[in-house]
Parts: sequence; C-alpha cells; structure tokens
Amino acid sequence: MKLIIKTVTKPGSTRANKTGAWRSFMPVFDHKLCSKCGICGIYCPEGVVNKLENGYFEPDYEYCKGCGVCANECPKKAIIMVLEGK
Amino acid sequence: MKEIRIHGRGGQGSVTAAELLAVAAFEDGKYSQAFPAFGVERRGAPVTAFVRIDDRPIRLRSQIYEPDYVVVQDATLVDVVNIAAGARPDGFILINTEKSPGSFNFNTKAIVKTLDATKLAMDIIGKPIVNTILAGAFAGVSGLINPESIKNAVMERFPGKVGEKNCLAIQTAYDLMEAQR
Repeated sequence: MKLIIKTVTKPGSTRANKTGAWRSFMPVFDHKLCSKCGICGIYCPEGVVNKLENGYFEPDYEYCKGCGVCANECPKKAIIMVLEGK
Repeated sequence: MKEIRIHGRGGQGSVTAAELLAVAAFEDGKYSQAFPAFGVERRGAPVTAFVRIDDRPIRLRSQIYEPDYVVVQDATLVDVVNIAAGARPDGFILINTEKSPGSFNFNTKAIVKTLDATKLAMDIIGKPIVNTILAGAFAGVSGLINPESIKNAVMERFPGKVGEKNCLAIQTAYDLMEAQR
C-alpha cells in the first residue's frame, strides 16, 4: 500500500497568484508630497511598494491588496486610499 | 425548488449571505438549505455558497450544478471562475459592479443584472461590505423572498446600529432591483 500525499505545489505559486483583484480601495501616491523616505515600502506587508528610478515609490497594483498600511504610515500624508471601481 | 449559487472571496461574507437568505426564506414559511464550498480556506480565495429554497422538505444534499440564480459579489471573479456554469436559461446572474449588464459576455441565455453594491455599501454602511445588500438585491430581482424577512434575519444576526444600517441598505437595494423587474 503506497500512500502518496501531495503537500507541495510547484514553485512560484505566490507570484502566479495575482492578489490585486481583492482590493476595494486602491492607494494613490502623490509624488509632489513625497519625501522619498521609503517608509511605505518598508511597512508594506505584501512587499509590493517599490522605489522607482526617480526615487519615488509606487506599488505593483497586480499584487497590492489595498490594505492601506502605506497610507496610514506615510509621514507626509502623500498616499490616499481611493475606492476602486470594478 | 429554487437553487442559488453565490460567488465571492474569502472574508466577504458569501457564506453569511447564503445563511441569511436561507433563514429569511424559512421565516417566510418555506424550507431552505444553505452551505458553502471552499477550495482554499483563506481570505481572498474564491468561495462558493449555495442556497436551496422549496415549498416542500428538501432531501437533496449535493452541491448545486445548475443554479436558477447566480450572485457574484466580486466582479473580478468573472475572470477567475466560470460563474455562469450550469446557469439556467430562464434564470438570472446578479453581479456587483458599476458596469452595465451589456459589458458581460457569458455563454448562457440567463439574464445578467448588475448593481453597484459597493457604492451603496460605502454610502449607507460606510464600509465596502456588500453581502447583505446583494441579499436584498436578490430578493428584489427574484421576488422569492420577502425583504422584511431578510431584515429580520439580519437584525437577529447583527443587532443594534450595524443591523439597522444594513437593513436600510437592504431596502434600498431591494427597491432598486424591484423597479427593474
């Protein structure tokens, strides 16, 4: 009797599973107010807020779940949460 | 017998919506059944919930494969799940979206109805919680359940101000959809 239990999926499932569709609210970044401190990126629980080449920050909306932590933590209040239409 | 399939994501209250519909139908003097089907049991994962309503005792205990009605709580599920699978030609598909029914192209003759329940939820409840609103909208479109019964079921489950706000939202959704019958 051979018992086979599949508990391992193929690697890369986290990247393949786009979680951006879950959002109700979407963070919008105002670069005019941004001081490039990077606190939003550090706090992002999904690790999707990234620094652009010009030093400002922007989330990867394909994975951003709209939790609002970045908006809550931004010291310059440069991030606002906007209801996203579906 | 009427069979309803509710599509949502984990954490959105799809199973609660199914239970509220079943309790409301029971209060209307009908027999009812409500149960969920999870794949991955976690927040954000697609969840399906089922409701059966009949005038006679319900013996059937299987999942619902050919629903009379389909309710979709999250419009993005249309791309992920085949929400129209088995939909009866004489039924309808109710989708929470700001788009018009013509925007959707399902391989079915079932009528597509849309309602921007998220906006309604933000206006009345203050949070994007749409399960009770869609229950009211479903009653409005189908005429199967009395909206008063849904409100009673909600007040029993969520007493106080929370329940009252939800009841107001339910009535609003019911009126909107009833007008489109």
